[in-house]
Amino acid sequence: MTNVNGTGTAFSRRHILGAGLALSVASGRAVRAQAPVSLNFAVWGNRAEEDAFRRLIAGYTAQNPHVSIRLELSGSSGQLYQQVDTRLAGRQAPDLVRIQYQQVGRYAKAGAIVDLSGHLDGGLAAQFAPALWKAVTYRDKAFAIPHHTDTLAVYCNMEMFRRAGIELPRRLEDSWRWEEFIRIARTLKDKAGAPFGFACAWQNTAAYRFLPFLYQNGGQLLDEQLLQPRLSSKEGLEAIAWAQSWFTDKLVPPTTSIKTNEQTQNLFANGTIGMLVHGDWQIPFLQEAMKQAEWQVTYMPRSVSMASDLGGNCLAVTRDSKNRDVAIDFLRYATNEANMRDFCIAAGFLPVRRSLMDTKLEYPLRPDAMQVFVEQSRTIPDHLAATVTLPDFSRINTKLGEQLDLAFTSGQSPKDTAENIEGTIRSVLKG
Amino acid sequence: MSNSAVMANSVRPATAARTRRSFRRPWMLPYLLITPNLLLFSAFSFFPLLYAFYISFHDWSLIGDVTYAGLANYRRLVADTQFWHALLNTAVYALASVPTTMAGGLLLAVALNRRMPGRVFLRSVYFLPVVVSAVATGIIAAWMFNEHYGVINSLIVRLGGDRIPWLSSPAWALPSLVLATFWVRVGFCMVVYLAALQSIPTLYYEAATMDGASPSRQFWKITLPLLRPATFLLLILNVIHSFQVFDLIYVMTGGGPGFSTTMLVQYIYQSAFMTSEMGYASAIGVVLYVIVLGFTIIQWRVSRQSENVL
Amino acid sequence: MSGVTFEAGARRPGSRRTGNVLIWIAVVLGALAMIFPLYWMLATAIRPRSEVFQPVVSLIPQMLTLENFRNVAQRHPFLTWVMNSTFIAVIAVVITVSANLLCGYVFAKFRFPGRDILFFAILGALMIPIQVILVPEFLVTSWLGLLNSPWGVILPRAAEAFGVFMVRQFMVSIPDELIEAARLDGASEMRIFLRIVLPLSKPIIAVLVIFTFMWRWNDFAWPLVVLTDQELFTLPLGLNLLRGEANPDWGGVMALALISLLPMLLIFLIFQRYLVQGIASTGLK
Repeated sequence: MTNVNGTGTAFSRRHILGAGLALSVASGRAVRAQAPVSLNFAVWGNRAEEDAFRRLIAGYTAQNPHVSIRLELSGSSGQLYQQVDTRLAGRQAPDLVRIQYQQVGRYAKAGAIVDLSGHLDGGLAAQFAPALWKAVTYRDKAFAIPHHTDTLAVYCNMEMFRRAGIELPRRLEDSWRWEEFIRIARTLKDKAGAPFGFACAWQNTAAYRFLPFLYQNGGQLLDEQLLQPRLSSKEGLEAIAWAQSWFTDKLVPPTTSIKTNEQTQNLFANGTIGMLVHGDWQIPFLQEAMKQAEWQVTYMPRSVSMASDLGGNCLAVTRDSKNRDVAIDFLRYATNEANMRDFCIAAGFLPVRRSLMDTKLEYPLRPDAMQVFVEQSRTIPDHLAATVTLPDFSRINTKLGEQLDLAFTSGQSPKDTAENIEGTIRSVLKG
Repeated sequence: MSNSAVMANSVRPATAARTRRSFRRPWMLPYLLITPNLLLFSAFSFFPLLYAFYISFHDWSLIGDVTYAGLANYRRLVADTQFWHALLNTAVYALASVPTTMAGGLLLAVALNRRMPGRVFLRSVYFLPVVVSAVATGIIAAWMFNEHYGVINSLIVRLGGDRIPWLSSPAWALPSLVLATFWVRVGFCMVVYLAALQSIPTLYYEAATMDGASPSRQFWKITLPLLRPATFLLLILNVIHSFQVFDLIYVMTGGGPGFSTTMLVQYIYQSAFMTSEMGYASAIGVVLYVIVLGFTIIQWRVSRQSENVL
Repeated sequence: MSGVTFEAGARRPGSRRTGNVLIWIAVVLGALAMIFPLYWMLATAIRPRSEVFQPVVSLIPQMLTLENFRNVAQRHPFLTWVMNSTFIAVIAVVITVSANLLCGYVFAKFRFPGRDILFFAILGALMIPIQVILVPEFLVTSWLGLLNSPWGVILPRAAEAFGVFMVRQFMVSIPDELIEAARLDGASEMRIFLRIVLPLSKPIIAVLVIFTFMWRWNDFAWPLVVLTDQELFTLPLGLNLLRGEANPDWGGVMALALISLLPMLLIFLIFQRYLVQGIASTGLK
């Protein structure tokens, strides 16, 4: 086991003791000065993620018998935030939380999660991917530790592709251009018996998954300094108009706009759509539910540049934690190299430690598909990462979702859409 | 059963007599008996309501500090087109769902009050959905109304029709919601109307029949007027319900597409938990409360004038 | 209770019979439509996953399986959820119905300063949408140390304005003379309430039991913020967990939804006879 955290001898001693057979006796002595500690750890996730978290906890508590960690499972990220926010108001928040990178700024700004900078080894930052480490910092201080990332790519129904006689690109450099992507979607619809060409998984609170398309077209939501909106640019309006045309040209199912509870993976699994823009975490579901056709994954389409979404989550300690030191120690443990690798492999995520990003992980499920996501994750623009991790991004995101939905379902013009979003951005950035 | 109706009418005359007698009870007894309920109401309804009122004059992200904002939240509300849109949606939803549900309940009550085979069983079937939780209802409804793999469109396709965009078109989303609401609520309306129908003395109908009044005339002239207290009760309960509907929409449409199913309560939830503006959410909440209260008081006035409900 | 006889007009018996048959057919067709969603829940719960997402679904499952029930039972402590829901609903029924009966009795049969104000204040509580007071209510519950405990679900919902209103409406029609006579015989207030008022109130008690049980059994928004431990979840919370975006197992969702329905159906079938009677006796005329 590599001790990447540099937390000194106590940590490695626990490792050795934990490996011993006379576990209870030996470690009981090692920690005799420590009173029992119990922590709450709030997460959401599918089965694979839940299992991976439970293994992580079991591993930690085996080494630290005086610690017990209770896993609190929410139905979705949105519900987790609702619960955690309410409990923060009552000073009863769980000790540890899994949050998306997009939420770090919001919690850090309000002082709801703990500044970790004094507790972490100075060299830790350099061990993580720079964009993601930057995502967990607020005013140059780290408020969370990156745990994993994920990104979007395109799932393809190969039965349909064969019927239409279309090949998938082999290399990232060969990824489809926007016009090509649209032509293929139309061909799938016309020639391969797909009721609809494709769909994008940006439903509910995931409106920010529109941004990759914006960046592909050379657009940005905000200017370089992140101080002013830039959506009304020519590139921005084009990107909105392009996504709008998916709906007006009936290339995507009308149910796959943003403010809906449609689950696009079901549409892909049952052959309603030929392609699905979704994340790597759908692999286990499709592996089980999509029996009638083979599927593969290819890269996101591109216009003037390539881009995909900053997905994934980090782990943080809340201000209500009464055992900060133990909670932070658990964060270090959860994000050390070995555990990060195990978690990513088990739950189908991409690692965020440099050492792991350079090695090929042995994903048990569809390693071929995972490889596409790994490559695609290198196209996440830094500026996009900086934008979505602004403290008030959740308010911008809500507006983004609502206005794009109006453009997609009610025919609101790209210009009005962009201007309405910009209005909110201005007032959010000012406040 | 018809006894109780007569008794209810005798309440007011009896009041005077009761006043005379009540001196014999210890004066604090009534207060003592309602204390448990009052304590619970104070802690979990009145105080939170006052607190929400207080918060509505502040800015609060829920996770951060509370800062005084004066009337800013209320000023913002007046100018917020989304607020008005949500208010309009709520009114449209109430106008669409309350009368249909009540009319459906009345028709069913009249039909199922007749002697017919399997009457008790049929009543139970109509009432059954009332016991289904809103979450489960939303799940089933979203499942059945799904455009692509839902059973309703599946049936339509099989009969040769086109798929209807139940939840994805702004025009169909609200009707779908009203339909789901009808399914859950009609049984309750039916039971209340049934109860009211059974309290009408058969004597009235016998007399009317002797006078040669036709069944439809009897319905309009006897049944409907005598059902008025039930109608008022249902109207108030259903309007309150339709102003508070949340779980069903949360699960079924999430407020979309566009703003077509975003109700005031949805907007409150969104402001409180998605954009973290608790102060603003509370201001909308206070306004919503005042609207519902105002409506109920008006209803009460009207119903008190025509019938002795309270 | 005799059936209403307003159809007994002077009509030709033949057309009346046709009319009755037509009405009966309409009511039966409507009943089929009403029961269909519940059937569909069952049909989804017992068919294999591969059949669930077909673009054109067969009305009758081609293959039957209990795998969805097994999956739910294996993955989630759903028996614990059933127990939790039952505990909360039963205790809540006891507390709420008792408190409502006392409170409604007082408002119906006592006169005291502040009565009308208090009564309208309680009715006012009926109109508060839960989302408006969710956070302050949470704060109170947290100050009282009731978070993540079944009592945190039970107590905040124990006072139910609708129940107070219904009891008052019912008890107003209990003749004062009965109470007065008992008092002349020297019965204590306690005895009067327990021996005279309560036995007369059976129908309304049945109504309150059904509705309170139903509400607590189905509560969602409030338990969602109070209960965080999966072991303490109620069935709607479990259902929501299964439905969550990360867990799109529809067969399992339907299986659990079905299970969550059964106790309610049982309660309903037992008490339904009293339901109409109870509501009818609240002075609705």
